[in-house]
Amino acid sequence: MKANRILEIDLTMVLIVTVLVFFGILFIYSSGVTTSGVLVSSEYRKQIMWGVFGLAIALFVGISDYRRMFDLSGYIYGSMLLILVYTRIFGKVVNGAQSWVGIGTFGIQPSEFAKLSTILYLAHYLASSVLNQDPLKRFLISCGIVFLPVVLILSQPDLGTSLVFFPILMMMTYIAGLPFSYIAFLFLFIAITGFLTILPLWQQFIMRGSYPSLAAFAGPRSVLIFAVAFLGIAIVAVFGYRRYQKRYFHWIGYFSSVIAISMFSSLAARVVLKDYQIMRLIVFLDPNVDPRGSGWNIIQSITAIGSGGLWGKGFLQGTQSHYRFLPQQSTDFIFSIFSEEWGFLGGVTVFTLYAILSLRMVRIMKTTSDPFGAYIATGLSAIFVFHFLVNVGMAMGVMPITGIPLIFMSYGGSSLLSAMTGIGILLSIYMRRFEH
Amino acid sequence: MLDYRKRVGEERPVFRINALQYGYLAIFIIYGIKLFSMQIMSGDFYKDKAKNIARRMTVTPAQRGEIFDRNYNLPMVLNIDSFAVNIIPAEIPDEKKGEVFASLSELLNIGIQQIERKVPKSSYHLYQAIEVVSSVPIDTIARISERIDELPGVAWKSKPVRNYVETGSFSHIIGYVGDITKEELKVMYNRGYASGDVIGKTGIERQYDDILRGKDGNEIKVVDVRGRSISGDEQTIETSPVMGKNLVLTIDRSIQLLAEKALGERMGAVVVTRPSTGEVLAMVSYPYYDPNVFNSTSGGSAYQTLLEDPNKPFLNRAIQSHYPPASTFKVVMTTGILAEKSFPPEKTIDCDGELLYGDRIFRCHIRRPGHGPLNLQEALGESCDVYFWTTGRDFLGVERIVSYAKDFGFGQATGIDLPGEIAGFVPTPQWKERKFHEKWLGGDTMNMSIGQGYTLVTPLQMADMVAMVVNDGVIYQPHILKEIRDPVSGAIIKSAKPVVLHKSDIDSALFETVRENMRYVVKEGTAEFPVNIKSVEIAGKTGTGEVGLADRWHSWFTAFAPYETDVPEERVVVSIIVEASNQWEWWAPYASAIIFQGIFAQQSYEDAVKTLGFQYLMPARERRE
Repeated sequence: MKANRILEIDLTMVLIVTVLVFFGILFIYSSGVTTSGVLVSSEYRKQIMWGVFGLAIALFVGISDYRRMFDLSGYIYGSMLLILVYTRIFGKVVNGAQSWVGIGTFGIQPSEFAKLSTILYLAHYLASSVLNQDPLKRFLISCGIVFLPVVLILSQPDLGTSLVFFPILMMMTYIAGLPFSYIAFLFLFIAITGFLTILPLWQQFIMRGSYPSLAAFAGPRSVLIFAVAFLGIAIVAVFGYRRYQKRYFHWIGYFSSVIAISMFSSLAARVVLKDYQIMRLIVFLDPNVDPRGSGWNIIQSITAIGSGGLWGKGFLQGTQSHYRFLPQQSTDFIFSIFSEEWGFLGGVTVFTLYAILSLRMVRIMKTTSDPFGAYIATGLSAIFVFHFLVNVGMAMGVMPITGIPLIFMSYGGSSLLSAMTGIGILLSIYMRRFEH
Repeated sequence: MLDYRKRVGEERPVFRINALQYGYLAIFIIYGIKLFSMQIMSGDFYKDKAKNIARRMTVTPAQRGEIFDRNYNLPMVLNIDSFAVNIIPAEIPDEKKGEVFASLSELLNIGIQQIERKVPKSSYHLYQAIEVVSSVPIDTIARISERIDELPGVAWKSKPVRNYVETGSFSHIIGYVGDITKEELKVMYNRGYASGDVIGKTGIERQYDDILRGKDGNEIKVVDVRGRSISGDEQTIETSPVMGKNLVLTIDRSIQLLAEKALGERMGAVVVTRPSTGEVLAMVSYPYYDPNVFNSTSGGSAYQTLLEDPNKPFLNRAIQSHYPPASTFKVVMTTGILAEKSFPPEKTIDCDGELLYGDRIFRCHIRRPGHGPLNLQEALGESCDVYFWTTGRDFLGVERIVSYAKDFGFGQATGIDLPGEIAGFVPTPQWKERKFHEKWLGGDTMNMSIGQGYTLVTPLQMADMVAMVVNDGVIYQPHILKEIRDPVSGAIIKSAKPVVLHKSDIDSALFETVRENMRYVVKEGTAEFPVNIKSVEIAGKTGTGEVGLADRWHSWFTAFAPYETDVPEERVVVSIIVEASNQWEWWAPYASAIIFQGIFAQQSYEDAVKTLGFQYLMPARERRE
């Protein structure tokens, strides 16, 4: 133990996080105030407690050596899977998803912590599997590590939270030096599968008619024919590539196999998912389909942000928020009430703080003493940036409604504590960057 | 050394990390630009919008479909206009809450505690409407609206009340509705149900809730921040509610009433079906309840009282209760003996009133000297236990008895379109060994042969057993829904087709003999009096189930009529259980006679009783009247 190590702490990161949590508490407080100026919610008090507790955890994790987790990560990951299974069977149902486990009146959302343990274990695997090992095998095992918790969380069903795992997987495998074409394959597979799954209902409810060019991909029979055709092309291309070693065979095989696999899995998805479940996916992508429900929220949120102007209406002065046109102000739409009351200047301040935070994480990736730390930093940065991208994007009306919180600012103990643990790990990595 | 330690200080993929860094930066810059365009470029537009207008939505509830009996004349359920009064707690200033609650309790004529219980302190910050009381008549609403200025945060909405015209035994079939509970909402959330919805709780109301409920409409108005409408009708978007569909049941109101009265105030159940289609013409379970009491303001306590009643009035005994089939099981045995040809039907067995097996004496229901020599038909007619003990144990065997019992539909739910049906039970030797760690003995087979022991059937399954005999080996799935009709035009949207539930491999000609033997039971056997009536030829089987009481038994009667007919479609099956908990009267055969008399002579209960001369036999409690 080096006594002066504590002086190496990343003060910038600690400060930024403290400021963001403080902003969050201010506006959770604001969201609990009614038009008549009466405070009716005690959420802000709980958030102060979580915030203080979280900072303590961050510092505690920060001074302990993250490398000890290298050996433990497998156990942490395994027990997290068990807890997720337990949640699926015995968990409490909140907003239609069985995502909570409670001890008395105190409940946590295990899926929040599953992100961390998955990152740790994936970093462990990527760091301990040697670079010259077969990259395809490395990539597939990485996918397996991430898909296990994803499947469990999807079955709750909590689509929003499970989505976060994909940027984690893609960013970490990317920084671990796996071929870009694999990662692109995964991305295309998810995108095409999702598109084909919702296409039939999308045409029925949104386009109210079908384009002939798309209609071919809507019927299950025609999709099956196409899938078999593409599979055939892919097989031919593989033989062609083996025989003639021509580059273009490789790419033909690549694209036709991703299309074929996506088609097969979209057919499977259509069998497994019921119509109303697919409808939820559509509403999730385009809230205007449901103007009474989700669409309503988005319109109110955009109005709140837009009406903030340069300076904002002032703390506790927002009208959209205090007249309750804005829903879920303390959780999903915390950014809306924030921008309504503190305006563009406040918004840019928050953006800058998040940007600096993400750059600090990139810096850690470059300077850590070992790849394990670099991969953890990559995974954590993927979480933070993705949450920011989706939550703020949703409030501004450019991203689907997912119900994933704005880390550090949204009300919620599980989200804040797991984020603070993540920050603690980053502090620990940064402090030990010169130790070899 | 661990792998990763070897790689300490290894070069990072600088290009990839830089790519990631620029990707991240791009996100923040693009979002910054978007925020700029929203707040600075279009800020004034949104400021106006926020200041002046917002849209508010009110829901117009859909009318729930009505329910008719098979004759489709008068609805058995009606919707009555009524209102629910809501409180939006956060709209009442805290210092005025006591005052508002007090005047509201006075206007609604309910205790102030009831309001305080519905609107607890923990909800004072909510902008969600909380329903304080429903079933409020229009004149009360008029009085509230006169004083609305003194009552901030009080609102009302139309919430029609379900009025059940036919109550009594109809309640178990139709069921009732209620507000959706938190637990139900968790399960139904994904199917488009919302908090505050009215949902079917049992019976047809629950089974076909999605057809009956229709779709709520809504009205979106442009209002200012204080909720005042600030635009004309041209800006109002209205979606009309879609009325729920009407349901026509297979139940015949007059047969249902006949069966209800024939059973009287005796714990038990009656099922009347049309075997050629599976239609249920009547289904009675006593005791029953009046669903209308749940609509009143004291509905909660009435529900609690019913729930705690030891006679379990919520239990639909026709499908949710099972009993040992007792001697009615001998119909299954008769079919088995004929089909297996294991024992010639003409050959006799001598009944001397008891049978020694192992260290136990099995006694026939007629004590020494017993029935004397009997062939199969006579054995069924006299319901002789010794005959079926012997044939069951020595000639048929337990495996085949089990297989025939299952063939008749025992041990499996019929899948009738009512919630909560149970499956009954057919034991097997393997089951007994697993459950009690005891071998299946010859005595168990003997018990099973006369319908005692572990076998349990529901009254509906009992009706299906006879239906199989009537249909030469086919059981049609019993159902309650006949048609779905359009609520406005009355046009049939869908009508139920008969569905084959089970088709037996037994030679269909053999059922002719079984019917003949069942006719013999009524013509010359145990049920000659009181079932051998003049108006129609009945064929059936009695059953008297041991329950361990000295002087009381479960009384079964299951039968069909007419025995001889050119139109098999007109045949009707009646299956009755009168539980042992009642005073012993051997009532099931009497009730059956009354029901058949009523159906085929088209008489009311009173006339049927008079024609049959039963009024002198009526138990004391009815004769006193």
